Amino acid sequence: MSRRFVLRRLLQVIPTAAGILLVSFLLIHLAPGDPVVALAGDHGDPAYYAEMRHRFGLDRSLPAQLATYALRVVQGDLGFSYVQGRRAADVIIERMPATLLLTGTALVIAVIIAVPLGALAGQRPHGARDTGISALALGLYSAPVFWVGQVAILVVALWLGVAPVQGMTNAGSDAAGLPRAFDVLRHLALPALVLASQEIAVLVRLTRSGVIDEMTRDHVRAARAKGIGERMVLLRHALPRAVLPVVTVIGARAGHLSAGAAIVEIVFGWPGAGRLLLSSLQARDTPVLLGLFLVIAFAVILANLVTDLAYAAIDPRVRLG
Amino acid sequence: MIATHARRHLRTVLGAVGLAAISACAGGAADRSDGVLVAAISDPGHLNPAITTNGGVHTAASLLYDGLLSLDDAMQPSPALAERWEVEDGGARYRFHLRRGVRWHDGQPFTAADVEFTFNEVLLEFHARTRASMGPALESVKALDDSTVEFRFRRPYAPLLQQLDVDEAPILPRHLFVGSDPLRNPANIAPVGTGPYRFAAYQGGREIRYSANRDYFGKAPALDGIVMRIIPDPATQVVALESGEVDWLFSVPGPERARLEKNPGVRLIQTALSPGGSNCITTLGFNLDRPSFQDVRVRRGIAHAIDRDQFVERVAFGAGRAADAPITSRIAFAHATGLPVPAWDTVRAGQLLDSAGWRRATGGVRVAKGVAGVADGTPFIIGFSVLPSQANYGDLLRAQLRAAGIDVRVEALEQAVFSQTVFTSRNFDTAIGAYCNGTDPEIGVRRMLVSSNIAPVPFSNMAGYRNAAVDSLFERAATALDVGERGRFYRAMQEIVVRDQPYVWLVETLSTRAHTTRCRGFAASSHFAATATCASRRR
Repeated sequence: MSRRFVLRRLLQVIPTAAGILLVSFLLIHLAPGDPVVALAGDHGDPAYYAEMRHRFGLDRSLPAQLATYALRVVQGDLGFSYVQGRRAADVIIERMPATLLLTGTALVIAVIIAVPLGALAGQRPHGARDTGISALALGLYSAPVFWVGQVAILVVALWLGVAPVQGMTNAGSDAAGLPRAFDVLRHLALPALVLASQEIAVLVRLTRSGVIDEMTRDHVRAARAKGIGERMVLLRHALPRAVLPVVTVIGARAGHLSAGAAIVEIVFGWPGAGRLLLSSLQARDTPVLLGLFLVIAFAVILANLVTDLAYAAIDPRVRLG
Repeated sequence: MIATHARRHLRTVLGAVGLAAISACAGGAADRSDGVLVAAISDPGHLNPAITTNGGVHTAASLLYDGLLSLDDAMQPSPALAERWEVEDGGARYRFHLRRGVRWHDGQPFTAADVEFTFNEVLLEFHARTRASMGPALESVKALDDSTVEFRFRRPYAPLLQQLDVDEAPILPRHLFVGSDPLRNPANIAPVGTGPYRFAAYQGGREIRYSANRDYFGKAPALDGIVMRIIPDPATQVVALESGEVDWLFSVPGPERARLEKNPGVRLIQTALSPGGSNCITTLGFNLDRPSFQDVRVRRGIAHAIDRDQFVERVAFGAGRAADAPITSRIAFAHATGLPVPAWDTVRAGQLLDSAGWRRATGGVRVAKGVAGVADGTPFIIGFSVLPSQANYGDLLRAQLRAAGIDVRVEALEQAVFSQTVFTSRNFDTAIGAYCNGTDPEIGVRRMLVSSNIAPVPFSNMAGYRNAAVDSLFERAATALDVGERGRFYRAMQEIVVRDQPYVWLVETLSTRAHTTRCRGFAASSHFAATATCASRRR
C-alpha cells in the first residue's frame, strides 16, 4: 500500500475542508437567527447591541466577514466564541478527547457484538436464531437513541445501581493513572453501549445478508464438499468475505455516529463535542460551530481513509495506488 | 496472516470491553470530596457575571462575588459590600459606606476604587440590564475615599437600591481588570471575587469546583466546598438527584415534580427568584402593527377566551398563580390589586369578537366582516410564536381559542430565531414573552410598555404599544422616592394598560429547586449555598 496514496488522500482534505467551511458559513449566516442574544444577553439597549455587533464584526457585509474568517482560519485562528468569550479552538479541543473516546468505544463494541450475531443469524436464515437476532436488530434500529439512553439510565443506573447516571468521572475526583482509567471506564460503559446500539442494529443486518449471500456461493459449496465442518465453513470461508461491506459501512457511518454522540452526550452529561455542537447551534455561536464542522469533516475524511486502508489489508484483490 | 492479525486485535479489544463491563458492575463507592454536589444545566464558558446577563454564568459565578447590597427573599436591600448608605437630593445622590477589611480572594484589599471601576468600565458597558435601566439616568459613580462611593443621577432615581445585588451589579477586582478588555480578561475563567466561595477549578463541559472562603466578611460557609456538575438534560438531573449523585438542582421540570414530592429523601423549594431574571410573568403579546389586533375589542375578546387558571394547572403544573396585573404580586408596593382584568367568560368573548366584526361562520372559525384593514371573509387564523420549551403554552392556547372560534397556529422557534422573528423583523401575530419583572418595575416592566423601547432589540416592547400617559407615569414613578407615591403611579399605569390590553398576562411562574435531605440550609437566592450544611456522605 503506497505512501503516495495516503499523502494524496490527505491532501484532498484541503479543498474538501475549504468547501465545507464555505457552505457552512453561508448556511449559518443565511439561516434565520441572530447571535446577539448569546453575545449580549437580554434586555439591553439598542446602542449596546449595535456595539456588540460591531465588536464581533457582525455589522460588516457577509463577503467581508467571510474573507476575514477565511484569512484567520488559514493562520490557524478559529476566532473567539461568542458565548464563552475565549478562543474557539480551545473550546473545541477541550471537548474532543471525550467524544473520540465515546464514539471509538461504541464502534468497537458494535463490531464485536454485531459481527458474530450477524454471522449466527445468516448461517441459518429464517431459523429460530435468525428470527430472534433479526427482531432484536430491528428493535434496536427503531428505538430512538435518546429514549434508549433514558431507559438505560433509569434501569441500569438508578434501579440496579451498577453504573453512574452522568458524567465522565466522579465529581470532584482528582484521581490519575489507573484509578482514573477505571473511573472513566465505569462512566463510559453505559453511554458507549447506548450509542453502539444503533450501529449494532445496522451491522447485524449487514453481516447477516452478507453471510447468507456467501453461503450459497461456489467456494462455500466446494469447501463443504471437501468435508469441512459447518463452523469452519462459516468462519474461514463465508465470514471473511461477508464482512467486506461491513468495513465500508463502518467508515461511512462515522458522520452518523457523531450525530448520535451529540444526543448520548446530552442524556448522559458526557462532556464531549457533540453537546457543544448543539448548544453552539442554538446560540448561533458561529466561530465554535464552524470549527466543529471543520473537525467533523476531518474526522469523516480520516475515517474513510482508514476504511480504504483496512479494505486493502483484508481484501487481497484491492490494490491502492 | 490477516486472520491471525484480526484475531489478535479482537482479543485486545475484547479485553478492553470486558474491563469496562467488570468495572461497571463493580460500581462501588465514589471518591467524592467533602462538600456539596450541585447540578447546572449549561456550561457557562466563563465566570464573569458583570459582563453578561446570561443565567448560566450567573448561576455558576454568583457565589464568587458580592454586590454592594444583597436582597432578601422579599427583595428588601440589606448590607453586603456596603455597610450603610445615605440618600440625598431627593434621590439624586446616593452615598455608600463600604465595609472595611474586606479582601479579594487573592489577598488584595477591596476598596471604593473597585466599585468605581466596575460600574464605569464594566457594568455600564456590558451588563445589558444595568446599562439599560440605570445608565441613562446616571451622571457619575465616584470613589470619594477608600471606603466611600457616591452615585449621582441627573434626576431623582428611585430603584437604585434594588439594582445593587450580586446579579444586577457584581463588583469586580480593579487590579485584575484595569487596562484590559473585560470580555477577554483571563480572570473571567479564573475569577477572583469577594464572595463566600473561592474559585478552585473549571473543567469545560464537566464541572466547576469551589472552595469555602474562610475569610468571608459575612458568615463563613460551613461546607468545605462545592462541585457544580454540568448536566444538560433536565431529566438526567432529576435521576442524578434521586441516585444521590448530586444534592441540589436549580430547577425541576414540572412533570417530574410529582415524583420528587413523593421521595422522602428530597425536599423541594418553590421560588420566583432566578439567576437569569426573577419574578417572571409569562405573557401573550399582540403585534399591534397587525390590523386584526388594532381593535381593543379583539384583544379583550381574546383575553376573555383565555382561562389562566388552566395555564397554571396544566402548563405550569401548579407552580405559580394566574397573573392578575401587569406587575407581579411579588413586587408588593407596585402590584395593583382588583384591576378589571378580563375574566374567563366565553360568552363575553364571543360578544366582543362579534362586535369587532369577527363573526362565526360554518365550521366554527370566525371570519372578518367589515374589519378595518382585513378583507371580508378572511378566517380568523393567528400565529403564536413560542420558544420550544414553551410549546405547551401554545397547545393550550390553541385549544382555548378554538372554542372561541379562533384558529391558532403555534410556531415553535428556537431562541436565536425567536428574537429575530419577533423583535427584529416583527414578523408575528402573537408571541409569548416570559417577561421577568426583576426586583423593580423599572427593570422588567417598563421595557415592555414604554414607547421609547419599541426597538429591534430582544425583550423590548414586543406589542409595539404606545400610550403617552403610560410613558409619563413610568417617568414619574422612576423619579419619585416615596414608595407609596411610586405605588400610586404604577397603579394608575396598570389601570390604563389593562384597559388597552396590549398583552394578556397569563401566569406568574415559579421555579422549583430540589435538594437531598442529606443537606439543609439552602436558599433560593444567588448565594444559594452560602449557609448550607451537609451530613457526611454515606459510603
